[in-house]
Amino acid sequence: MKQKTLRKKRTKAQKREMIWALCFIAPTIIGLIVLNFYPVINTLWQSFCKTGDFGKGNTFIGFENYGKVFASSEVWHSLWNTIKYALIEVPFGVVIALILAVFLNKKLKGTSLFRTIFFLPMVCAPAAVAMVWKWLYNQQFGLLNNVFGTNVAWISDPKIAWISIGIIGVWSVIGYNMVLFISGLQEIPGDYYEAAEIDGATGIRQFFHITVPLLSPTTFFIVQTRIIGALTIFDLMFMVMDKTNLALQNTQSIVYLFYDYAFTQGNKGYGATIVIFLVIFIMIVTFILQRAEKKLVYHP
Amino acid sequence: MKKIVALFIAILMVASVLAACGGNGGSGGSGEKASALTVNIWDANQQKGIQEIADKWTETSGVKVNVEVVDWDNYWTLLEAGASGGTMPDVFWMHSNTVQMYMENDILLDLTDYVDKDSSIDMSKYYEGVKDLYTRSDGKIFALPKDHDTIALLYNKAIFDEYGVDYPTSDWTWDDMYEAAKAITEGSDGSIYGMAMNTSNNQDGWYNLVYSYGGKVITDDHKGTTIGSDEAKAGMEMMRKLLTVGAPQSVVAETGTDSLFQSGKTAMITQGSWMINSFYTAEFHDDYAWALLPYADVNGNGTCEKEERWSAYNGLGWAANANVSDPESCYSLIAYFCSEEGQKLQAEKGVTMGGMTGVSDAFADAFPGMDISPFLEAEDYSLYFRPYTRNTTVWEDALQQAGAFLDPWQNPEDADLMATACDNAQKIIEDAIANE
Repeated sequence: MKQKTLRKKRTKAQKREMIWALCFIAPTIIGLIVLNFYPVINTLWQSFCKTGDFGKGNTFIGFENYGKVFASSEVWHSLWNTIKYALIEVPFGVVIALILAVFLNKKLKGTSLFRTIFFLPMVCAPAAVAMVWKWLYNQQFGLLNNVFGTNVAWISDPKIAWISIGIIGVWSVIGYNMVLFISGLQEIPGDYYEAAEIDGATGIRQFFHITVPLLSPTTFFIVQTRIIGALTIFDLMFMVMDKTNLALQNTQSIVYLFYDYAFTQGNKGYGATIVIFLVIFIMIVTFILQRAEKKLVYHP
Repeated sequence: MKKIVALFIAILMVASVLAACGGNGGSGGSGEKASALTVNIWDANQQKGIQEIADKWTETSGVKVNVEVVDWDNYWTLLEAGASGGTMPDVFWMHSNTVQMYMENDILLDLTDYVDKDSSIDMSKYYEGVKDLYTRSDGKIFALPKDHDTIALLYNKAIFDEYGVDYPTSDWTWDDMYEAAKAITEGSDGSIYGMAMNTSNNQDGWYNLVYSYGGKVITDDHKGTTIGSDEAKAGMEMMRKLLTVGAPQSVVAETGTDSLFQSGKTAMITQGSWMINSFYTAEFHDDYAWALLPYADVNGNGTCEKEERWSAYNGLGWAANANVSDPESCYSLIAYFCSEEGQKLQAEKGVTMGGMTGVSDAFADAFPGMDISPFLEAEDYSLYFRPYTRNTTVWEDALQQAGAFLDPWQNPEDADLMATACDNAQKIIEDAIANE
């Protein structure tokens, strides 16, 4: 009833305002529909189809693709590879960035220079980053083996290749995390630190008892977005690993597998199913994280 | 003032978006003569030569041609996206990996009528394998043969001299290659490899061993394989022996065989004629020389029979987009590329050997200082068309990876692994064909 009265109260001017508002958000809405919603629905539809060439002649086959995906050891292996990557990238990316942020938040000489340097990897194109690292890691001519005088197959030894890839991920993401942390740090009032200092708390105690809890909303945000980011990793593996690399099996991420099926082999339906599988997995992870949020994040 | 600046910027942005949208010259509308054609190719080595030939055509037709290079992997992604509902280039290359799929779905311009009316194009003059590839089962022609390529052995004279090993000759068997590679690898204590081949070097690599020993990766009807046969296993056993004295898999997976060769880390590789230019223009090209691919002395009489030396050959096709606005000009350009004049120009400029027979002699002279005659001599022996089925990529990729030939490549000392891999390969190909 209340709704109705509200509606009636809308004046001509308000209506005009609404139309204008719609006009202004129209570009975004249209963009979202064309570029996001339509592909999402189409992908979902394709995952139930045996797709024909060039998007023609799709035939509905129900859950057949899903059955294949769940029974495929390749898919589970790739999912595990992706999780392994996330296990390196997220914790190290967050901890290192936090430490750097605390240091660079102090009033020291040259902080802006260091901030710029640490943020630089974020500005570089991921493909370029991967190419440079690929050559650093190269067993024959790589800088790493030359400097350390070792002969390690950084990216083609299945036992260590996933760590090598993870290191690139950490390196690329530190700058971005750091900037978020710095902005979080600047929102913590200085009074707390002053009071703690008067009470005789050391720098480390201050860090663990003031900075970490008060920063936890930022930390939670970073962890959550980075987990999703790490689970959808593709470009690193794609650029660094050659198809004939033995370690590929132990590093290929699930999005890489999707790319391989959908675009290299032209099996769009199966590829779509792999992606939907990943989406469901990410949804579950996010749901758990959201539930844990209340316990993990400190609300003063 | 601020408002005016903001407005100005907004107008600029809109204008740039519109300009980007209107950028494609050829497509849309119909029947009108196009002012420019977009040509897509994937080989940067050929861009200059192709553009020059196209410019010659522009002189008579008045239609400009823009030759754009998209690298191999992205080429097919872009083309497929274009075919599925975007914009395709007007004229482009076709390849044996995918052409059947494109022909079946009517993505390509049907050239049959144009060819029938055109007295300057005689289909019988082209290499049969290439011609057949681009002709659909109902006899319609969807692309004209652009070129053909063969495979030869590339070696580094400086390394052979250093370790006192005789250069490859036309009498070499694969065993001779093994002995030479062994001498070099052992002579250098493994710092230089006698030879290098990756699982991905198929057409230019191990396929040729399979055929030399009498196996077939894909049978002539494109419906099966004999890669699990004893003949093919004998070929792959020879391959395994070569790998024991060649660069390890972990090395070739990180650094391509071409880079290894050009940096003087390996003495021999096998390569196709489409790569000549990149070695001809390399820093140490004076040290490089080509030889015929070794043969397999299957009957043991010590001389090379015609059917004991096999080189893969493949040919690209010039095709056009079926929905192009100006099919006349597209055909005219394709016909010029594939005419005797265009084909001879292509050979003279050292772009590639022709898709037409008897036009490639000039190709041997296109690289002064480097003898590339082995590519032409290979045709005196046996040629097989690059193995393909309807969806080649599926099994071709699977063969390169773990579960197939990557396992024996990884551990060449183990002879059983190679035999198992051949059996696996038989199954991979048969399954893939069954799913097509």
